[in-house]
Amino acid sequence: MKLSEAEKGKRYRICSLKFPPHMKRKLLELGLFPGQEIEIVQDAPFGGPVKIKVKDYCLALRRSEAENIEIEEKNGR
Amino acid sequence: MADKIIKVAVAGNPNTGKTTLINAIAGTNLHVGNWPGVTLEKKEARFKYRDYEIHLIDLPGTYSLSNDTAEEKIAVEFLIKEKPDVVIDVVDSTNLERNLYLTVQLLELEAPLVVALNMWDEAKSKGIDIDVEKLEKLLCIRAVPTSAVKEEGIKELLDAVVEIYERKEKPKCVLHFEDQIEEHIKGLIDKIKEVQPILLDLYPARYLALSLIEGNVFFIDISLNNEIQKYVQNVREEIEKLYHKDPVTFIVEERYSIIISIYEQVVKKHVVKSVDITFLLDKVFLHKLFGLPIFFLLMWILFEFTFELSSPYVDWLDETLSSFIAPLTAQLLSSLGASEWLQSFVSEGIIGGVGFVLVFVPVLFFLYVFMAFLEGSGYMARAAFLMDRFMSVLGLSGKSFIPMIIGFGCNVPAVYATRTLENPKEKILTVLMIPFMSCGARLTVYAFFVTIFFTQHKTAVIMSLYLLGIAVAVIVAFILQKVYFKSQSLPFILELPPYRLPTVRFILRNAWIKTRAFLYEAGTFILATSVVIWFLLHFPVGVKKTEDSVFGHISKAIAPVFEPLGFGNWQAAGALMSGFVAKEVVIATMGNIYAGEVIQETEEEKIDIKEKLVQMGTGFLQANVEAGKKLLSIFGIDLAGGEEEEEFEKTLLDTVKNAFTPLTAFSFLVFLLLYTPCMATVFAIKQELGSWKWAGISVVISFTSAWIVAFVVYHLGRLVF
Repeated sequence: MKLSEAEKGKRYRICSLKFPPHMKRKLLELGLFPGQEIEIVQDAPFGGPVKIKVKDYCLALRRSEAENIEIEEKNGR
Repeated sequence: MADKIIKVAVAGNPNTGKTTLINAIAGTNLHVGNWPGVTLEKKEARFKYRDYEIHLIDLPGTYSLSNDTAEEKIAVEFLIKEKPDVVIDVVDSTNLERNLYLTVQLLELEAPLVVALNMWDEAKSKGIDIDVEKLEKLLCIRAVPTSAVKEEGIKELLDAVVEIYERKEKPKCVLHFEDQIEEHIKGLIDKIKEVQPILLDLYPARYLALSLIEGNVFFIDISLNNEIQKYVQNVREEIEKLYHKDPVTFIVEERYSIIISIYEQVVKKHVVKSVDITFLLDKVFLHKLFGLPIFFLLMWILFEFTFELSSPYVDWLDETLSSFIAPLTAQLLSSLGASEWLQSFVSEGIIGGVGFVLVFVPVLFFLYVFMAFLEGSGYMARAAFLMDRFMSVLGLSGKSFIPMIIGFGCNVPAVYATRTLENPKEKILTVLMIPFMSCGARLTVYAFFVTIFFTQHKTAVIMSLYLLGIAVAVIVAFILQKVYFKSQSLPFILELPPYRLPTVRFILRNAWIKTRAFLYEAGTFILATSVVIWFLLHFPVGVKKTEDSVFGHISKAIAPVFEPLGFGNWQAAGALMSGFVAKEVVIATMGNIYAGEVIQETEEEKIDIKEKLVQMGTGFLQANVEAGKKLLSIFGIDLAGGEEEEEFEKTLLDTVKNAFTPLTAFSFLVFLLLYTPCMATVFAIKQELGSWKWAGISVVISFTSAWIVAFVVYHLGRLVF
């Protein structure tokens, strides 16, 4: 499923990133690589960005960007 | 004997308290400027520590060192070419994992590292324990816990800098990737040694090899040997075959696997029972319904804070200069037997020019105070989060909204407020839009004209001008987006840092350092321009009427340009010319030229210095009281009393009434709204965007759009009325 479809408060794992190279590199370097745990915390009004939690910090991404991140539900460990 | 110099560069992620730390280290020794040719701020400081002179340079805040962005380019090129003696890497102890990514890259660059484990106190209270010694051992670096806000660990940090500098042999440990890739790296370095050894003299070997494999070559200035390129291509294909990943993903993951292993050995987290304040505050500030209203309320306070609170001080400065310093100097000069011309030059040309500079000081200071608070508290990122949806329509991000709002008060601080925009394209576009935000000074001219021509529809006319400004800004942004920026949408990745309370000390010091930079640089330019304008007005020597001065002649020469807009007389042209100095003086100039008055003579009045000094002192006290009252009134407690109505001279009203029709007056106002903002704004653009090129482009854009829009307005008006 896509990160943009994720439920708030639930934990997921990143599967893959579908971005042009420079953007992909940026996200990878910020720690959003496949296997990383990720969580949607909040979203902005009128279809604005989403606030996500990754590692020990929070990040905002546009909804259109969140659509390009494939995730899966994190079950157990 | 001269002190030995230690060249220290400071690197680090954004939001690690790097700026605060540098402030704590260097204090008011800090100077702000621009990195040459780019829109990024450069901070430098020189100071003595023990037996050394430390030259500190702040590198732009970056998350990594491998992207072809302005920030990362500057950092990489500085580290490679300037070879600083020591690099301080500021990391956020509460967010060590991601911060170590940059640290690992700095080690690849063979930078002599001291890691400042900043926000140490915050990490402790969050139950995060970091084993400093182990971290030092694993990375072969020095690490020092610091708290920039509390100014703790500063001395220890500087001691570590000196220690690294004095150390003869540099210990180096290589952070190993997987064996197979390590072999490829070694093979590539050997290949380079064999066919193009010069590369290894220019760049650190491991950083070079990894960059080649990752395909980032922005920092390499010489063309690569074919054999190396072939070798790199092989390695890349090999990686894809072996790991089924593209080389970039693979190398980033390798770096992170080293980091995670170090992180797990060094960091211990205890569960601390405490409320996550950031989480709770975000529930309010980023709330779907209340987030935006709260944001607009804060913007309103920012606006009031900057312009209302500073206005008593502006008035006081203005008063002191014009009714005390200027006449006093004139009197002094006349008693020394100086000619009237010289007296006028000093008291009007020079002191008047100083006045144009000084009136910005309180405004800028208050603005910087509030901006530092917004930035330091973490709210700025939230503002960007909330406004992004709207600004992205223009190809901008949420952050550019705040400078534009400030533009309605004054364009000069608005341009300086764009310092918080990291993306160069976004910054340029925002700066070019700001001049169309109708500032407070332009309102004085509107007010004058509407009392003459539009008594029935005052508010509607003024409102329409403000809206027209916004509309033109949007159109210009769209055109620039298509023509210059080729509509590349900016990627939006924004860190939302925890809420923090910045210290008063940091805020005030930061505001002062930036205001001082304005005084030094813009001050000279504004002063010089106003002296030039004074000369134009008072040349040839002994000229009595503005019409006969050089200024008058130039006005007459350019007047035909405005003919198609409906106001082709030299007086209007002259008023617009003076508007370049400052929009506030347009009405005064009109008074001079329309009424055909003799140029103002300095008053021959004896000045009692003692009495004036007392007035100056009490005036300043009053200004403080006034500012205090206004601060209260921002929060709803009204003590300030009503606004004063401006009064205009009767003769001037009559002459202007005869010189314009309502339509040409409106066309004039449209032109005045849109054409070149004042000289201070032009200089601010130059300073903020780092070159005269952009200042020039801004002037051309505003002049052209002013002419076109006024032309359209005038001719449409003629058809309708």
